[in-house]
Amino acid sequence: MGMLADIATIARWEVKKSFSLMGRNVLPVAVIFFVLLVLVTGFTAQTGLHLQDGMYTVGVDDPQVGALLASDARFSVYVMDAPSLSTHRDQFDVIVVQGRAAGSGTEKANSALNTLSRDYAKYVNSVYDSESDLFAAYPLWIDTQSVTSELTFLSTQSGQYVSAAPGRAPPVPTGVVQNVPTPSPTLSVTEDQLRQELVQSNTQNTQISRYTDVLSSGNPAMGTFKTPSQLSPPLPFDSIILVFVFIFPLYFTSQFFMMSIMNERIERKGEVLLSTPVRTASIILGKMLPYFLGMAAICAGLTLYLKASPLILLPLIPIIFFFLANALLIGMLSRSFKELSFISIFFSTVATSYLFFPSIFANVHIISLISPLTLIVLTLQGTAWTATDYLYSTSLFWLTSAILFYIAAKNFKEERLFSEKRLLTRAREFLSEILPREHPFLSLFLLAGFSIPFVFMVQMMCLVLFFNLPMPWSLVFLLLFAALIEEIAKGIGIYTLFVRNPAFFTWKNLVLACGATALGFLTGEKLLLFATLTQISDSVFGSILFLSLGSLWLPFLLHFGCVLIVACCLKYGGRKWFVAGLLIAMLVHCLYNLYFILGWLS
Amino acid sequence: MKAKHLSIIAKKEFRGLFNERTILLAVLLQLFIALFSSFLMVGLTSMYDPSSLSRYSHFRYNVAYAGNESDVLVYLRTSPDFRVYRMDLSTAVAALQQRKLAAVIYVPDTRPDAADPVKITLYTLENDLQSAIVDVKLKDVFLKYESTLRQVRAGRLDEQPLPLQVPASTGGDFYEFVYGLLIPLLVFMPAIISSALVIDLVTEEYQHETLETLISTPVTFTEMVWGKVLACELLVPIQAGAWLVLLMINGIAIQNPGLILLHVVVTSLILILLGTLVALHYRERTAAQFIFSTGLVIVILLSLALPSNPLNLLARLAVGSAGPEQWVVLGITTVVLLVLGYTTQKYAEKIAGSAHAG
Repeated sequence: MGMLADIATIARWEVKKSFSLMGRNVLPVAVIFFVLLVLVTGFTAQTGLHLQDGMYTVGVDDPQVGALLASDARFSVYVMDAPSLSTHRDQFDVIVVQGRAAGSGTEKANSALNTLSRDYAKYVNSVYDSESDLFAAYPLWIDTQSVTSELTFLSTQSGQYVSAAPGRAPPVPTGVVQNVPTPSPTLSVTEDQLRQELVQSNTQNTQISRYTDVLSSGNPAMGTFKTPSQLSPPLPFDSIILVFVFIFPLYFTSQFFMMSIMNERIERKGEVLLSTPVRTASIILGKMLPYFLGMAAICAGLTLYLKASPLILLPLIPIIFFFLANALLIGMLSRSFKELSFISIFFSTVATSYLFFPSIFANVHIISLISPLTLIVLTLQGTAWTATDYLYSTSLFWLTSAILFYIAAKNFKEERLFSEKRLLTRAREFLSEILPREHPFLSLFLLAGFSIPFVFMVQMMCLVLFFNLPMPWSLVFLLLFAALIEEIAKGIGIYTLFVRNPAFFTWKNLVLACGATALGFLTGEKLLLFATLTQISDSVFGSILFLSLGSLWLPFLLHFGCVLIVACCLKYGGRKWFVAGLLIAMLVHCLYNLYFILGWLS
Repeated sequence: MKAKHLSIIAKKEFRGLFNERTILLAVLLQLFIALFSSFLMVGLTSMYDPSSLSRYSHFRYNVAYAGNESDVLVYLRTSPDFRVYRMDLSTAVAALQQRKLAAVIYVPDTRPDAADPVKITLYTLENDLQSAIVDVKLKDVFLKYESTLRQVRAGRLDEQPLPLQVPASTGGDFYEFVYGLLIPLLVFMPAIISSALVIDLVTEEYQHETLETLISTPVTFTEMVWGKVLACELLVPIQAGAWLVLLMINGIAIQNPGLILLHVVVTSLILILLGTLVALHYRERTAAQFIFSTGLVIVILLSLALPSNPLNLLARLAVGSAGPEQWVVLGITTVVLLVLGYTTQKYAEKIAGSAHAG
């Protein structure tokens, strides 16, 4: 009870303080700016974004075609007669003579032709949409049916395509063939419904849909019926834009939290707070509570405004915690405002990439589920997701936030908050704080175990990054980086202990410390694997990242050996040899992966 | 105002940046974004434009054709992307489930000139990278069939669209994305970073109470302000130039790099001065950054709504289709810059004056 009361008090202080800070000067301006923002957004939505105006120059001989093209601001259109067009050929990217478009062959001209053909297709569609006989204009409809594969979805990613059938004979399925009903030859939707959908999908001519058009022209609202031109995986662009609407206020609010923590540290203003008989956990939670409530309220408000399903809030909550945990740590770590700015910009870019890019592939690939935003995109689209999906995409966020909060709580005290040391030094001290001197081995074991969620997160990011490179390169990069990340995670505890007290590392202690680290890493790895990541871990990619689930002693030996290399380097050459040790360990790790998993050497 | 004092302040700020290694973070950030944008390029291209994938390997996909004879079968047989098998629907779907096929197509018994549409059923694998590619390849075949059907039924149309023949272009799909969005954003980002930086530098002096020490040296308050502006402004061409070089190394040809830098330098100085004014007014980071970033969003949105805005100009300069109107834009931005510069000078003098009086 006492703790709850403390938290409430501190939360109230925090609100009062930020309001007195923001009060007189800022609030009126903020209100004016908000009104201005709404007005300007409306204005911009009306006039459109003029970012790509006049990129291409086009010459045409027919004023009608000229008018058609001029409706797209990207074209600067010049109407002339055919002879003068051909004399000034080099001034145009594309010329249209007698209903034939021709590009000048450059990359820019090709792009202009692409745009031209898309604009023309849109125009043709708009003509066809108003035809009285819709099925003369759109005579072909494709009904797409998804079939669940009996093999794992990842077999294609491991570079293995569908097996080529031998010779001319059609492939023969093994086992019992289930009867598939013959599809009915008629559409189950009326002509008017189809027309409505067509008109709707063809008039979505916003500035943003230019990019969507590059990628798809699908309209998921149409159900499984599509015209051939709509047949490509739809990019959930609108939903992704909406997702930004959700994430952006979260950045803003977490900035305020970051700054509030920083303000406590400037000129030791927070000393008063620390001298009160309140537990540090209560202080942190109390300071955080208003921001958490604020963020949740913003999200809930947006959800209501968009009339979206409240299910959206579920994946947002771990994201909020993740932002707050990072904001707390960044506020505690940075020494100056510039450092705060740069670290927070860096963090938000990395976090956005992690959150945003996988969700682009929401409709294409299951790997997109590593980002909770994909769940939001799915919810907005009206696609259902399961509790397993939720666990799969949010567990890393929950775990990492919890660990970051723990580190912050342990370090929220005078000597850490008010020291003026380098960033990396401070980060090391923060770590050192959570490794108690009395139980060095136990703490190494726990540290290695708890580093797993971070390792997975970074490795996931590498997976997303390298996944799209052509096949051999994606594997090579993943192999190297995954090994390096794991070695850093394992080595960091030993390094921290070594810097604190080099004399501690007698040979016996060194072996014991490596054993504890390796064991901790292995335990954490297996636990998290069993809990969530079985989907990915079945692939070749997964086996590089997480080793195989089968035998336990081999991975243990690997982890042990690699940490031992790093530790020996430290003992032999001191701190300078840490990086060298890491690189050697990385090599060993890669060789192990090559030998045992891919079997390339055998 | 003495140039020497300005450079002393600018040097001090640079030293601060280097000492804290924050500049390293900025470089890392640039690399990271470059990496991710290349991911975006390669990723999106290979996901949604399989023709770029087929550069790496050319592959014939096995598809099954079930149902009645039609032109689709002919097109599939002549397509270099597919190997077609006539199969029974149930057997074909079973083979698809075992990944022995990439897709199954069922065509019903509808005549090409019938009143009803032709409804083709397409079976593909769920959640599969490859089926996305097969979809796009099949799309070409279906489009061809659609235009054949349209010709058969052309007599039933009320109005024919204007004829225009556009040659099937090769590539160029991401040209607009790169030149019309990525380049303006990347080149402009240093300006935004620098204007946020100047707020930090100014408010820091107030909040760490180091201002008085600084003013007690021969450096005046106004010189201190301009020194900080100078330090931030110098970072812009360096960072923006680094972007241009990085992009060019990546094989993206950029026209008029010098003019692009000139425009960025002028526009960024406007933003930096705006940031300075906000920082001088609030003297506290949270408030200043909040007001400035909200204001920045408004300014950027508003300028994007105007034709021939500086960002549009960057895109047009990069593709080499900027006309003489660029000088008009440059003139306008320079006038805005001069007005803001004058305001900053007066405002700083006023603050310095009131500090002396008090």
